Amino acid sequence: MSRCFEIDLDHSEGALLRVLGTVERRGFALIEMSAEKPDAESYSVRLQVDGERDPQVLCRQLERLVDVRAVRLLPLPPEEPPPPGFKATWL
Amino acid sequence: MDGSREQSTTVRTGAQWLLQALEAEGCEVMFGYPGGAVMPIYDALVDSPIKHILVRHEQGAALAADGYARASGKVGVCLATSGPGATNLLTGIANAFLDSVPMIAITGQVQTNVMGTDAFQEVDMFGMSLPVVKHSYIVRHAEDVYATVREAFAIARSGRPGPVLIDLPKDVAIASAAARQPRFKSAAATGSEPEALMQARALIAGSERPLLYVGGGVSMANAEASLRSLMRSTGLPAVWTLKGVGAVDPDAPFSLGMLGMHGNPAANHAVQECDLLIVAGARFDDRATGKLDTFAPKAKVLHLDIDAAEIGKLRRADVSLSGKLSEQLPALAQPLSISAWQQRCREMKAQYAERYDAPGDGVYAPALLKQLSEAGGNRLIVASDVGQHQMWVAQHWRVSRTAAHLSSGGLGTMGFGLPAAIGAQLAKPDACVICVSGDGSIMMNIQELATLKRYGIPVKIVLLDNSCLGMVRQWQELFFAERYSEVDLSDNPDFAVLARAFGIPAFTVERRDEVPGAIERLLNEPGPLLCHVKIDPRANVWPLVPPGKSNGQMMGCAA
Repeated sequence: MSRCFEIDLDHSEGALLRVLGTVERRGFALIEMSAEKPDAESYSVRLQVDGERDPQVLCRQLERLVDVRAVRLLPLPPEEPPPPGFKATWL
Repeated sequence: MDGSREQSTTVRTGAQWLLQALEAEGCEVMFGYPGGAVMPIYDALVDSPIKHILVRHEQGAALAADGYARASGKVGVCLATSGPGATNLLTGIANAFLDSVPMIAITGQVQTNVMGTDAFQEVDMFGMSLPVVKHSYIVRHAEDVYATVREAFAIARSGRPGPVLIDLPKDVAIASAAARQPRFKSAAATGSEPEALMQARALIAGSERPLLYVGGGVSMANAEASLRSLMRSTGLPAVWTLKGVGAVDPDAPFSLGMLGMHGNPAANHAVQECDLLIVAGARFDDRATGKLDTFAPKAKVLHLDIDAAEIGKLRRADVSLSGKLSEQLPALAQPLSISAWQQRCREMKAQYAERYDAPGDGVYAPALLKQLSEAGGNRLIVASDVGQHQMWVAQHWRVSRTAAHLSSGGLGTMGFGLPAAIGAQLAKPDACVICVSGDGSIMMNIQELATLKRYGIPVKIVLLDNSCLGMVRQWQELFFAERYSEVDLSDNPDFAVLARAFGIPAFTVERRDEVPGAIERLLNEPGPLLCHVKIDPRANVWPLVPPGKSNGQMMGCAA
């Protein structure tokens, strides 16, 4: 099942790698990602992932990462699929 | 030194700040091996009061730091150079990660201006270690070294402990700077909701057959006393995992033994029969649960863990408490009316009591381990390697506290035993530390006999030699139609001669009547000693839950 997460991160080395690695190692596939940088110290990532496991558990697995400030599991996405592609506005 | 005032004005090299920070964190011993990228650190080490133990392979450094941490409750520290030195640490780091052991792993790195150019002895240690660390850093400025190390220690020991990697480029170690202050993140709130606690108490009160399932988290939380007090006041029966060995008083009337693949049948049957499983610092590991969907089929689950990410990972919890076990366990105490269940547990415990009357004149390893542990008493710390002997230790060694039983639970690292014993002996100089190993495992880190000799570390090694890779052989016998494949080690070296070549006294035992004398020597001789014990290659570990089967389907025990 596809679910969306919004994740607030410290802007520190490896923070995004840790998040993406956790998502994939815990059995979820990344479908789409976007990121923005609201200030010098942090950035926000929105992930859409797909997997059979409990997304609440993934939420807690992401929350325990040292660089992660907050994780929000969003309600189920609308019927219309999101546009394909990768968007990383802060790069 | 406190350093907080001095560091704002004092200028030191990155390497010096590294050692200052280690001192500030109370580090007295570190394990390492020098090389090109860490030469500035080794230069600074000449002026440091920290005792450095030169191992003979970097994996030994990481596993010794692991053993030091488990035995002492402190953070273990290991150090290696870039490239192969760093990659050799990885197994030890992963070992610490899977068993939640606090560790700081410091690796040298090539200079920052050549990072990313495939320079000599450059590997992306930061990237390679990401899946097996709690956190990690590349320190890119000398001014950050002191603060980074302090912050790393705080992370390693907080909440659910784990290893933290610090990758330090050579030019950063050489550069001089004033140090910035550390920025400690405030720990996440761990107090459980009062409502959840009330629900937990109500679950227990409404249960007719409650059972404690005790994991390594109990000792990591310093909650052994709380657990034992709860068991005394309530009469709750308990089973435990490999990493939970020692948390429960072995003399408690309703301590049923280890559960799982090589668990005691009384423990496994109790799990299958209970109507409430109180999971304390355990994580439903597959070696403990067997076939998960048949595990504790009649039970509701009350899950207690400092790590909220373990709640619901493998088994849905009816009620969960995410916080400190030392505070939660006492809050569960209440009068219980479970005498019929206690009687049932008492009967199973008696029915499945271990037997040591094996026929023949050869050495029966379970009996040797039981006798040695009883003769040595509470001053013993056992560091087990991985294989059949590891399970025999878990089943038969009398363990009075978890810090006295060091075992590679999550990763199952052959080669863990000897370096872990070295770390434990340095952490607890007055303890009698015994490494129980096998002829397969000992060869994984045999070079650390040189470390024993160099420092006169009085670790005693009991080497159970069955001339094969016993656990693999056992599985090939039982589950692969006796098609033995690459398990024969009958061309082993003479281990007693090998030990003597390293300068370690050694002797060999082959008959059962030689065991009392061997125990006498092991417990009374000063200095390191290797006892080479030849055992029957056909000996298996019983009971056994076949892979993929329910814990109720044990082989090798009277039903």
